[in-house]
Amino acid sequence: MSRGARLLAVAGATAVAVALVAIYVADFLAANPTPLRAAPAPRGAQLTLQTVASYGHDPHPDWVSYLARDGSGKWHHTTIFKVPAHALVRVTVYQYDTATGLRNPFWSQVRGTVGNTMTVDGRTLHALPPDDASHTFAIPELGVSVPLKGVGDNAPNQCSVAPCTAAQAHTTVTFTFRTGNPGRFRWQCFVPCAASFVFGNGGPMQSIGWMDGYVQVV
Amino acid sequence: MSDVAFEQHAPRPAAAPPWWRRLIGFNLLAASALGIGGWFLGHWVGTRITIGMDSQLGTDQNDIATFMGFLFAVSGWLIGLGFLNYPLGRMLGRPPSLREKEEEGPGRYFRLCTDHKVVGMQYFVTILLFFLIAGLNAMFIRAELLTPKEKLWNANQYLSLVGLHGTMMLMMMSAAILGPFANYFVPIMIGARRMAFPRLESLSFWLVPPAGLILLSAVALGGFPTGWTGYAPLANTARAGMDAYLFAFALIGLSMTIVGANMLATVLTMRAPGMTWTRLPIFVWGVICTSVLMVLAAPVLFATLSMVALDRTADTSFFLASAGGSPFLYTNLFWFFGHPEVYILALPGFGVVLEILPVFSRKPLWGYRLAVAGMLGVTLLSFMVWQHHLFVSGMNADLRPFYMLTTELISVPTGFIFLNGLGTLWRGRIRFTVPMLFAMAFFSNFLIGGLSGVFLSDVPSDVSTHGSYFVMAHFHYTIMGGLVFALFAATYYWLPKMTGLRFNETLAKIHFWGMFVFFNFTFAPLFVAGMLGMPRRVSVYSSSLQGINDFVSVSAFLLGLSMLVFLINLVYSTVFARVPAEANPWHSRGLEFQLPTPIPVRNFERTPVIESGPYEYGVPGAPPVAALGRPAVAGGGGSSP
Repeated sequence: MSRGARLLAVAGATAVAVALVAIYVADFLAANPTPLRAAPAPRGAQLTLQTVASYGHDPHPDWVSYLARDGSGKWHHTTIFKVPAHALVRVTVYQYDTATGLRNPFWSQVRGTVGNTMTVDGRTLHALPPDDASHTFAIPELGVSVPLKGVGDNAPNQCSVAPCTAAQAHTTVTFTFRTGNPGRFRWQCFVPCAASFVFGNGGPMQSIGWMDGYVQVV
Repeated sequence: MSDVAFEQHAPRPAAAPPWWRRLIGFNLLAASALGIGGWFLGHWVGTRITIGMDSQLGTDQNDIATFMGFLFAVSGWLIGLGFLNYPLGRMLGRPPSLREKEEEGPGRYFRLCTDHKVVGMQYFVTILLFFLIAGLNAMFIRAELLTPKEKLWNANQYLSLVGLHGTMMLMMMSAAILGPFANYFVPIMIGARRMAFPRLESLSFWLVPPAGLILLSAVALGGFPTGWTGYAPLANTARAGMDAYLFAFALIGLSMTIVGANMLATVLTMRAPGMTWTRLPIFVWGVICTSVLMVLAAPVLFATLSMVALDRTADTSFFLASAGGSPFLYTNLFWFFGHPEVYILALPGFGVVLEILPVFSRKPLWGYRLAVAGMLGVTLLSFMVWQHHLFVSGMNADLRPFYMLTTELISVPTGFIFLNGLGTLWRGRIRFTVPMLFAMAFFSNFLIGGLSGVFLSDVPSDVSTHGSYFVMAHFHYTIMGGLVFALFAATYYWLPKMTGLRFNETLAKIHFWGMFVFFNFTFAPLFVAGMLGMPRRVSVYSSSLQGINDFVSVSAFLLGLSMLVFLINLVYSTVFARVPAEANPWHSRGLEFQLPTPIPVRNFERTPVIESGPYEYGVPGAPPVAALGRPAVAGGGGSSP
C-alpha cells in the first residue's frame, strides 16, 4: 500500500472515530428535553404545568408525566423550566391524576412557597390530608415542596392521553415561590408514582422529562 | 483433538479468490448482519412472550424483550462467525480438524481463527478500543467536575458516565493482559503449538466485542444509575440500560470463565519436555493464579447477574427485601467476585513486571519461589477478604475484625512481589528501556495503592473514608497504576515481537513520562479530596474543593493526551514508519524470543526441549533455554550476555 493510501486510511479511520464520539455525546445530550421559558408576569414569571396519569404517546405512553405550557398556550412535554432570578414565580398545576397517597406524611405540608401556602381549587391551604395527594412538586435546594391533590377515583371524564383539557376531571393547584441567584436546581416528584414498577420508583420517576427535571434560574 | 488429526489437514495451496468473494462467508460481516437481525428478532419474540404479563406491560419498559434481543443478537453474532459449524459438522460425522481455522493473511483477524497468536492480536485491538472509550468517559467525568455545580451533564447522565467508565474498564481490563499477551505467548512460553481448547479460546474473544457494544447501548436505553457494582435494589428499579449492564457483564463473566479454564488446561497439560514447574516463566505463574481466580469467581458473577435479571423479568425477588429477598445477599455475592476481580487485574501485572525486570537488569529473577508463593498466597487470600467492602453496610460487627485481618494479611504475599523486584534490581546492570520504565513505575504506583489500601482495610479508618474520593484514589493507584502500567510495559516489551515492527522510542518515552507524571497529578490529590469529605459518584461538591478538582481535571486531560501520544506512536510505527524489529530486540532468554519474527503458525518446527530456566542472565555456563532443533535467531539471547 502506498504512503498516500495509508495516510488516507488513517485519516478516514480518524474521521470515523471522531464521528462516533460525536454521536455518542449527542446521544447523551439528546436525552434532555428542550427547556421551556416561563411566561413573563408582573414581578416575575408564570409557570403553567399539568400532571397526567399516562402520557399517551411514544416513547412511553403508559408513563405518568408532567407537561408545561408556553406563552401561546401550547403544551410541551418537558420538565426543564427557565425562570428569572430574584423574582416571584407563580406556578399553576392542573392535576389530572388520581390520588395515591403519601408514604411519608411529612410531604403533605406546603413548604418554601410565599406564606407557606398553596391554593387548591381556590381554597388556601397549608397542608393536604396525606391520602389525598397524587404527586408533589419539590425543589429541595430552594426548599420548595408542594403536595398536589389528586382527583377522585370515581370522577367522571378522566384524562388518559396528554395534553388534558380543562373539561376533563382535574384539580387546580397554585403557589408562588421566590428565586434567588442564577443556577440550575433539580426538582422532583417525591411520590413513588411509577405504576407497575418495583416500589413505584422506576421509569418516569428517574427520568428527566417525566417526573423530575430542572428549574434553571437565569 | 489429537495432533494426528491436525497433521492430516495440511494447508491447501489454492488461488486466492477475488476480494468480494472473501467477504461472503462466516466472518465479521456475517456476524454483524446476523447480530443486528438477531436483536430485532429477539426483541419481537420477547414482545410476543410478554403479552398478558402485567409485570412487563404497563411499564413501557419490556425487560424480557430487551434481554431476548441481546440473547438473539449474540447468538446471531456467533453463528455468523461460524461457531456452530464445527459442532454441527461433528454431529454429521465429519472428522475433527483445525485446518480451516489456522491460516495466513489479514482475513483471519476478522473471523473465527484458532491460531492463538491471531486471538492475541484480536484481543489487543479490541481491548485498546474499549480502553480508549472508557478513558473518554473519564474525560467527560472530569470535565463535569471542573465546576462544583451540575454543568455539562445532569445527575442521571453523570451517573451513567461513571457506571459506563467503571464497568467498561473493569470488564475489559479483566482480560487486558490475559487476552492479548497470555493468549499470544503462554503456549509459546511453555513450548506448545496451541492452546488446549482453540475454539473456546476464540469464543472467549468473540464474546468481548458484543459485550462492549451491548454495554454502550445502555446510553440509548436510559443509562444505569448503579455504577459498576450494580447494587440491588437500585438495579431492580433502574431503567432498561440496566439490562444492558447485566447482559454485558454476564457475557464477560462467561468469557472470563472460559479463558481461565483454557489457560489452566493449557499450562497443566501442554508443557514441553523439560518445562518443569520451577522453569515456568513467572508470567505464566501469574496467568495460572489469575486463571484460578477467574474460574472460581467469574461464575459467581454470572449467577448473581442472572438473578438480578430474573428479578427484573420473571418477578423473582432474590434481592427485594419487601418480598422476602435480601439486597445484602447481592452485595456479598457481588464482592465475592468483585474482590478477586481486583487480583484478576493485579496478578497478570505482577507476572509481567517480574518477567521484564530480569531482562533489563541482566540478572536472574531474585526469589523465584518466593514470587510464586506470593502469587499463590494472594490467590488464596483474595477469596477471604470481600466483606471489607461492606464494613459500613450494617454487617455483623463481630465479623469485621476477621476481614480486617485477612485484608491486612494479603499485604504480606503482595510484599513478596516487591521483594522480588527490589532483589532483582539490586546490583543489576539496569537498562532504562521503555518497558523497564513502565515496570518500575508499576512498583511505585502499586506501593501507594497498597499502602492506602491498608487504611481502607482498617475498620476505624474505613468508616470515615468509605464512599469518598480516598477510595477512588486508592483503587486507581492499584488498577491504573498497577495493571495499566503493566499493560503498557507488556505492550512495549512484546508488541515488537507480535507485529515485527519497532516502536518510535522518543514518542514512547514521551508517553511514559506524560502518563507517569499526570497519573500521579491526577490521583494523588484525590486522596486529599477524599479526606476532606468529597463523596464518589456525585457531580455536585463543596465549592471549597474546586481548586483541587480543577487541578485534577487538567491533569486528567493531560493524562488523556499522553494516551493519545501512545495511539499516535502505534499508528505511526505500524502504518507509516514500519521499521522491522529484531527477532530478539531485548536479548531476552524468553522462549518466545528464540523464535523468528513473525512467529510461524505452528510456533515450533518440532517440540522444543527445555534445558534451563528463563532467567539465568549473567550465570556463567548457563545453557541455552531450549533445544529448538535449529540455531537460535540472529541477535538471540539464548545464552546469557
